[in-house]
Amino acid sequence: MEDYYKQLESDIRFKEGIRACINCGTCTAICPAASFYDYDPKKIATQVQTGDNSIIEALLKSETIWYCGECMSCKTRCPRGNTPGLIIMALRQLSINTGFFVESEKGRQQLALKRAIGGNILKYGYCLHIDTIDPELHPEAGPIWKWIRKHTEKLFERLGGNYGKDGPGALRKIPEADLDELRQIFDNTGATERFEKIEKYSAAKADKMGYKTSQTSLDPYFMMVFKHNSNTHYKKEV
Amino acid sequence: MILEGKKKLWNDYQKEIADDNYFYVRSCVRQNLFPGAEHTFLKIMRNELKKDVFEDPKHTTCTGIGYHSDIVPLETIMTVVARQFSLMSENGYSNFVPSCITSFGIYTEILELWEHHPEMEERARENLYKATKREFKAPANLAHASDVIFKFRNEIARKSRFRLIDKSTGKPLKVVEHIGCHYSRMFPHKGLGGAEFPNVLTGLVEAFGGEIVDYPERRACCGFGFRQYLVQANRGYSISCSRKKFESMAPYNPDLIITNCPGCPYFLDRWQYTISEMEGKTYGQNGHGIPVFTFEELAGLMLGYNPWDIGLQMHQVAFEPLLDKIGIEYDAHDKYCDADGNFLGKPEMPEMMKYY
Amino acid sequence: MKTSQKHIVIIGGGPAGLEAADNLQTLGYDVTILEKESAIGGKVINWHQLFPDRMAAKDVMAHLTNKLSSNVRVVTNANITEIVTGNGKYKIFFNQNQIIEAEAILITVGYDLFDARIKEEYGYGIYDNVITSVELEKMFCQNKPILTQQGKVPERIAFIHCVGSRDEKAGIEYCSSVCCVTGVKQAIEIKELLPKTDVMMFYMDLRMHGRYYEDLYLEAQQKHHIQFIRGRLSEAAENPDGSLTLKADDTLAGSPIKVKADLMILLVGFSPSACNNKLSKMLNIELGNDGFFSPCNTHIDTNSAHTSGIFVAGTCTGPKSLEYTLADARSAALKVHKYLVYAPVSEVLN
Repeated sequence: MEDYYKQLESDIRFKEGIRACINCGTCTAICPAASFYDYDPKKIATQVQTGDNSIIEALLKSETIWYCGECMSCKTRCPRGNTPGLIIMALRQLSINTGFFVESEKGRQQLALKRAIGGNILKYGYCLHIDTIDPELHPEAGPIWKWIRKHTEKLFERLGGNYGKDGPGALRKIPEADLDELRQIFDNTGATERFEKIEKYSAAKADKMGYKTSQTSLDPYFMMVFKHNSNTHYKKEV
Repeated sequence: MILEGKKKLWNDYQKEIADDNYFYVRSCVRQNLFPGAEHTFLKIMRNELKKDVFEDPKHTTCTGIGYHSDIVPLETIMTVVARQFSLMSENGYSNFVPSCITSFGIYTEILELWEHHPEMEERARENLYKATKREFKAPANLAHASDVIFKFRNEIARKSRFRLIDKSTGKPLKVVEHIGCHYSRMFPHKGLGGAEFPNVLTGLVEAFGGEIVDYPERRACCGFGFRQYLVQANRGYSISCSRKKFESMAPYNPDLIITNCPGCPYFLDRWQYTISEMEGKTYGQNGHGIPVFTFEELAGLMLGYNPWDIGLQMHQVAFEPLLDKIGIEYDAHDKYCDADGNFLGKPEMPEMMKYY
Repeated sequence: MKTSQKHIVIIGGGPAGLEAADNLQTLGYDVTILEKESAIGGKVINWHQLFPDRMAAKDVMAHLTNKLSSNVRVVTNANITEIVTGNGKYKIFFNQNQIIEAEAILITVGYDLFDARIKEEYGYGIYDNVITSVELEKMFCQNKPILTQQGKVPERIAFIHCVGSRDEKAGIEYCSSVCCVTGVKQAIEIKELLPKTDVMMFYMDLRMHGRYYEDLYLEAQQKHHIQFIRGRLSEAAENPDGSLTLKADDTLAGSPIKVKADLMILLVGFSPSACNNKLSKMLNIELGNDGFFSPCNTHIDTNSAHTSGIFVAGTCTGPKSLEYTLADARSAALKVHKYLVYAPVSEVLN
């Protein structure tokens, strides 16, 4: 069995996040995920602090570690100075590095995030871009969103934006030379490698699940991980 | 509620906010969803307060959303942050002002990490140089755009035409303030007022004469949760968090909500719309929602800027009843016009919530 | 030198100081107690009943003060400004122009209460209906009816354990030892006064370490149906009617809970006395990293400080019950006596 605990220890967020949990539940009490999902942040702390690699491996493959919303409410309250949210970030990173993320429904969603957010960062230099927020995939954005998408240029002009143009302003075109710098940073610091890992493991999993992947954004596997919810993630009683 | 108790607390959590020469970096979410808000911030800073606010078009996203979606490694975001700092120092600035709250959290977290682990700062330096030949200096002052507006709230209030007062009764409007999670949760001393009773927005509201409403779920996250919204399958988490807040604030009959994080107003706005469609329930009066402002929008409105130049037409919950209440005049036709006054056509109306 | 020619100064006129003074006077010494407040008795004077046997605190106070003879001089409102050594004695300067000399000093400065405002998320000093255990005990002493600020009889009262103890965020990581049993005692007292009121205890671990403490716990559960929730209070928020919404995790049942309470009692812990730093510097004696005085040894000498002729007793060396405070004070008296009788002259300070 690989020494997952040792790998976690090399992540500064793990070191900062786990000191020693006494199971008092202060974090669980205010965790938004704990009120909706079958999730308990104190369990994350008590489980990793066992140092037991078979427990950690199970976590890396589980749905559990993907329920957290990284709001850091837990950090404000823990009397022992733990932060389950930071432990979660370290676990998620390890889950991606080991490829275990594809073993869970929520973990498989990393592909959607990589293609959507990661794609935006590398293409536009923004995490989000109006051109890619499809009203069909965002009905909650309301009818006003359809109107905004229809009249983006004129609207941005009125509101002092600089949509797609050179120079400063909201949603400007970031110069290619600067995007190249960003991409080089991604290459040099492991982001590109992580993106490739996410694609690689997802492709293998898609194949196993009977999906043909095409490495393009909205292929059937992407749509499945983006939309599918088995509705098995909630507490038995509310 | 004993106000003196809160005031004592606020005194314990003061922080240095530079008073001029700001290097401004934009928010991915705000640029896309509330571009008028950022424009209004710049207008207030430059035209009203005569401050020097510089924006370098070469700056990019800090990648915070990617980091909190667990696709961008820590090493990468540290280097991107270093790049942002290098743009700042290359332009001769040392006061860094992000528009986004998640960004503010990221910059704060990374500066703290570097302070306690100088070898990580060294690595960021090496990584940045290798990738871009750039060098950087950490900022002398880091403050969120809402901190800066807080600092000048009294001056802005003095120049303002309007107040947060009900015109017909003379009574202060009831205001719910919502602080972004990454503002002061991680490092309470880096936020004005700390993590439990932050006063970066209460101070602004009070300067405009409004009355702050405290309610049990005030501190709860709006539910963005990064992946919990960005992936469609997870949105139940996001809407549930916002709904918890609406149910908790409703008995206080708030007139408006003000936020400092760019994402929160989107969620608090759109989830009201969604709940009205799903459950037929609205949280404002008479079939309306509770309008949600970003702090720049509210400041601009008080100063008398045209609501449709600020960008209030980009929200789904209607502002008109509130504007009427305050006594702010607006042109209903102009709402859907472009910069030259050409009518663009009205959007579809929501099924359940009143809209104009 | 006959014992009665030797003079001991006791800094702090609380139970430890008073008990030590009585024992030292019996051994024939002259004793002066310097007390910074306007009254002696420390915190016991504001206490109603003591765990585990519900003895009246005022009876203990009477016992401590009635025995003091004319050999014990008590100075209240005493502010010590300097302590110097010379000719084998300590010279204590206080209240601008007063000086006394002593062959030994016993420090019994006690503790400060944790400032509950530091736990911002509990809203002490901000919400109407949040009080400390100390304030509640005072209400018992004064026979005040237990009502909310809005004047109504509380339907539910919540006790919060570990306020300012075992808490990295509050800057205090130790356990204050006696708050748990204090909470259980006060919960029983509340139930006796208000039998219809629901009482809930929010705790992390229930420290019933002393003799008969567990009996109190049993009584609380069996006789009074007091509910014990194993979950540290995470946050309290105020409702429009002044009641509070509490958020905790019921760790044994395995799910987060939200509870409405009309009154919340914070079981505040011990903080090292603000005097400690000053005295530590003046006398060159050690403080532990928790801010309390460090005696020579945890097991075999709990009363000698590391400087010759200086002694410590009571809660200034760490949280403890009144029972142990008084025992510690007696032990200190004997230690001082042995020092003054048997210590070779060369060991006595120069």
